[in-house]
Amino acid sequence: MTALVFVEHVGGVVDELSLQALTFARGYDDDVEAVAFGGTPAVTGVGTLHVAEIDGYAPQAWARAIASLAPTTVVAAGTDRGNEVLAHAAAMTGGVFAANVVRADGDAVTRQRWGGSLLEEARLHGDVKLMTVAPHAVAIEEAAGEPAVQPFAPELEEADLVARVVERVDTSTGGLSLAEAPVVVSGGRGVGSAEGFASLEELAGMLGGVVGCSRAVTMAGWRPHTDQVGQTGTKISPDLYIPCGISGATQHMAGCKGAKKLLAINSDPEAPIMATADYAVIGDVLEIVPAITAELRRVRA
Amino acid sequence: MIASALALAAAVAVAGALFARRVLLLGRLVRMARPPGIDRTDDVPDRVRAEAVVVLGQRKLLQRLVPGLMHAFIFWAFIVLFPAIFIAMIEIVAPDSAPQWGWYDALSDAFCVLALIGVATAFYIRKVLRPRRFAGSHLGEADLILAWIAAIVTTLLLLHATDARVFAWAHVLLILGFLAYLPHSKHLHIATAAINVYFGRTRARGRLEPLRFDEDAPEEDLRFGIGSVKDLTWKQMMDAFSCTECGRCQDACPAYATGKVLSPKLVVMGVRDHLFAEGPKALAAGEEYDGPAVASHGQLEEMVWDCVTCGACVQACPVNIEQIDHIVDLRRHLVMVESRFPAEAEPMLRDVERQGNPWGKPQAERAGWAEGLDVRVLEPGDPVPEYLYWVGCAASYDERAREGARSTAKLLLAAGVDFAILGPLEACTGDPARRMGNEFVFQAYAEQNVETLNETGVTKIVASCPHCFNTLANEYPDFGGRYEVVHHTELLAELVRDGRLSPAKGEQEITYHDSCYLARHNDVRAEPRELAAAVGTPVEMDRREERTFCCGAGGAHMWMEENAGAINEERVREAAATGAGTLAVACPFCTVMLDDGVRSRGDDLRVVDLATLLAEATDT
Amino acid sequence: MNVLVCVKRVPLTGGKMVLTADERAIETRHLGFTISPHEECGVEEAVRIVEAGGGSVTVLTLGPPEAEEQLRDAMALGAERAVLLETDGSDWDPEATAAALVEAIRAEEAQPDLIVFGNESADSGGFQVGIRVAHALGRPIVTGVKALAVEDGALRAEQEVGSARDVYRVPLPAVVTVKEGINLPRYPSVPAKLRARRKPVERRTPAGAAPRLEMVRLVVPEGRGKQAEVLGEGPGAAPAVVELLQKLGIA
Repeated sequence: MTALVFVEHVGGVVDELSLQALTFARGYDDDVEAVAFGGTPAVTGVGTLHVAEIDGYAPQAWARAIASLAPTTVVAAGTDRGNEVLAHAAAMTGGVFAANVVRADGDAVTRQRWGGSLLEEARLHGDVKLMTVAPHAVAIEEAAGEPAVQPFAPELEEADLVARVVERVDTSTGGLSLAEAPVVVSGGRGVGSAEGFASLEELAGMLGGVVGCSRAVTMAGWRPHTDQVGQTGTKISPDLYIPCGISGATQHMAGCKGAKKLLAINSDPEAPIMATADYAVIGDVLEIVPAITAELRRVRA
Repeated sequence: MIASALALAAAVAVAGALFARRVLLLGRLVRMARPPGIDRTDDVPDRVRAEAVVVLGQRKLLQRLVPGLMHAFIFWAFIVLFPAIFIAMIEIVAPDSAPQWGWYDALSDAFCVLALIGVATAFYIRKVLRPRRFAGSHLGEADLILAWIAAIVTTLLLLHATDARVFAWAHVLLILGFLAYLPHSKHLHIATAAINVYFGRTRARGRLEPLRFDEDAPEEDLRFGIGSVKDLTWKQMMDAFSCTECGRCQDACPAYATGKVLSPKLVVMGVRDHLFAEGPKALAAGEEYDGPAVASHGQLEEMVWDCVTCGACVQACPVNIEQIDHIVDLRRHLVMVESRFPAEAEPMLRDVERQGNPWGKPQAERAGWAEGLDVRVLEPGDPVPEYLYWVGCAASYDERAREGARSTAKLLLAAGVDFAILGPLEACTGDPARRMGNEFVFQAYAEQNVETLNETGVTKIVASCPHCFNTLANEYPDFGGRYEVVHHTELLAELVRDGRLSPAKGEQEITYHDSCYLARHNDVRAEPRELAAAVGTPVEMDRREERTFCCGAGGAHMWMEENAGAINEERVREAAATGAGTLAVACPFCTVMLDDGVRSRGDDLRVVDLATLLAEATDT
Repeated sequence: MNVLVCVKRVPLTGGKMVLTADERAIETRHLGFTISPHEECGVEEAVRIVEAGGGSVTVLTLGPPEAEEQLRDAMALGAERAVLLETDGSDWDPEATAAALVEAIRAEEAQPDLIVFGNESADSGGFQVGIRVAHALGRPIVTGVKALAVEDGALRAEQEVGSARDVYRVPLPAVVTVKEGINLPRYPSVPAKLRARRKPVERRTPAGAAPRLEMVRLVVPEGRGKQAEVLGEGPGAAPAVVELLQKLGIA
């Protein structure tokens, strides 16, 4: 049996989450191959690297390319593209697709529900199995060995190219994005108002980070949806996450599971977030955050 | 004398016609109006008593002694001098037949002088003292009327002094002119105030008028609060007709006092002005009327969101105008039809509707506050406890409000009271949704909670939140829920009196903050004071009991931003000024708001529920 | 333009997950329910398209009888009719769900020009129902859509990629899956809710299928077993916080 890993890369450098997927695949099967699009990434530790000659992103065409390799097991990172391409490939191959798997052995998988706040133990029935790996569920283990590179031009159906990217629009306002920031300072209902976020913005700026918010804040109209951290917002994985006045509902925690360290600032010592936070300060957000920025200024002076 | 009689008849006819034409319009407007949502014809003895006390006795006006006496003099003069009009008419037409009651003339003269003193005082207040409450009022109109009254009584005095016919004519013509002018000015209150007082609430002042959402009724017949002028109830029209622009409500309003746009006076004046501008058009157009929203008049739409429904305005109004009904009814249309309201309240409304509480936390976690306490959670089919302790959403989900509930539970357990809580079956009473204007969501929860309560068979409920208390006691009867409801301070005070709880009196100086929904809407004022006196030394604030100053959380403001000065900080300033070290409260909202206020201001003041103080004093 | 939106009824969980005794479902006693967030935005988007260009919105769900509540909520937002594929509320795997939806869509008298899904459901998060339905119907599909416009019988859709947007142009009929944030759903008016109560809900009983992604049991992930280390209370904790930040190499 061979596990075929769909590897994402930017300019030849393999994506961190795809490296996790490769590690997962090596744990699942002895024989691992990879498939990539738009150039030849520097993959190691696989027997063969198939490089599909397709210009631009068209999920159905990419899935067709994967399906044409007649795999029995397909693995990818649980990114937007990974999930999308594998779902197409499942529909094409008649395979069974489990998204965001954290563990697998044969046809037994454990996958995430509720953005990771709940796990499902399941059984895969079918000759072709497709799995995406939940981000940060697997620690990267590099493996050596240069693959044999096999470029190929898959036979595509006309319908495969209908949905394809025709243009890319840059919407960034400059500066760090929420998904990439090393530090995120988030505010919830406890911040009290849109104006209350000013002190959070100051703190984030001083720490080289950005401001996020909870869903309640977005629905109250205090901040745009692009600032929302959570299961239906942006999923973040900063070095340090500082949620302020956020109680820790599961849908919010699903968005910040990737955070390396979490410092919660909340007036309620029994809030659910305290069970996940590494550190906590108890009290009023509007008093504590300015005190921290003041202390930072003092120490830096 | 025939010429005089004819001239007089002509004058009476002209004045009468002008008066009648206007009064007919007012009548047609009232006939177009919707009925109010509560019965305003019951409790006749209480209504009659209100007439005697508020109208004849001028009791609400006398809340401010000098302006009150000023008006009382003029008002009583009007009553006493009423027959004098007819005597003067007879003097004109048949001077020899005119009654010569010396005692009545003397009495009239005395009241004329009182009236003049009143007018002089009024001018002094308006021109020299110039109180802020007149900001926004039409002062010119008042000056005119005061001068007119002075002229009326002066002509009577002169008539009595000289017996000259010219003064009789002058007196009568001035009065006829007054009659014609009356229904075109705010002095219409002379006729409508007594009516308005009669139809005001006699009990359950905290009860808002329910709306009906009959599914079978055609949509045009349903009323979702005040949209256009056609949605006004006749009581709201009466309120508008009766407003004298005195501004006492504006003075009492905590929102106005902290720099916000809202003035209850300007709300009623705005409704009135819109009514006179659009009412005739609505009468003319009939079914086809499609005029502008009342809320679009002036700054009404902006103003209604500042209201905390504290009732200080209703308390202050000398003619029993019920400003909260106008404000909530305007909110209802904005929320339920236009979906246009402060965005930060939307999560609260969605959470109440979908999750059963405004905190948006799961109902399943509702009894978490009672962890470690031996509190019975009532399941369907369980034996009925003597008391159902209605905890409320705040104590269930807010860490500062939690303490009051824990103290209450511990005290009830220590005193051996047979009580239980509903736990996850207790959903929000719906008060924040109702005050916000979403009557639809409120009624869904009222019906659900009444069903739950009725299924358990409880007859007595103790609530530690005044908003829950008010809704359960005053508003749930409209949905089939009739229970004996007490506030936790009432029950705890009874337990202390009966010796079932024996607190040790400490040295601490305690100033007690009256919650609006207790002291004003429901007259619970004495029992919390009993508790404060039992555990420490009470120190009173100036604005207390029915004159209390709001903490700022009512009217769904617990979830809305204030866009000007802070009501809670203003109240904390007053509490701190008493010098007491403890600020006692009896409400979870007051607890949070006043504690926030103390933190913002940095005062050395401990904000704590009376139940907690009592628990500490009884070592519970 | 006919738009069909597929929605799912999901519970509103709070701070922790509690399972039923058989560990095959979340304990939903005392929980409120809602339309899954991505899909609620999908309904709003469909209503906006139809308000701008004419047509009607139909909302479809596979779920227990109580899912009627979510269908009525969708109709209060502006959908005109609703179809409920009634199940006993048990878990259906994505393939069986997609097959049932495809059958219901094919049975529609007027085939929808646009079918809208949420990108993934909040609960099971399979990421595939929309795509499988698109394949079965032979339509192009764009996923993760954050901006949508109908231009001359074609769709212009924007898909979020990091801090950029990839633009797709596909001809109708098509399928999209949308993400929350594409719009802010309106707060429905009470007259709309009352009208929604009177709108028709068609009920059908779909044939199920043996699951190929077969759920065996649910497991609540283990917590760390300890609470957070409290650095202090109030503003006085600021020095301790700064010390931590320096230790982490962030300050």
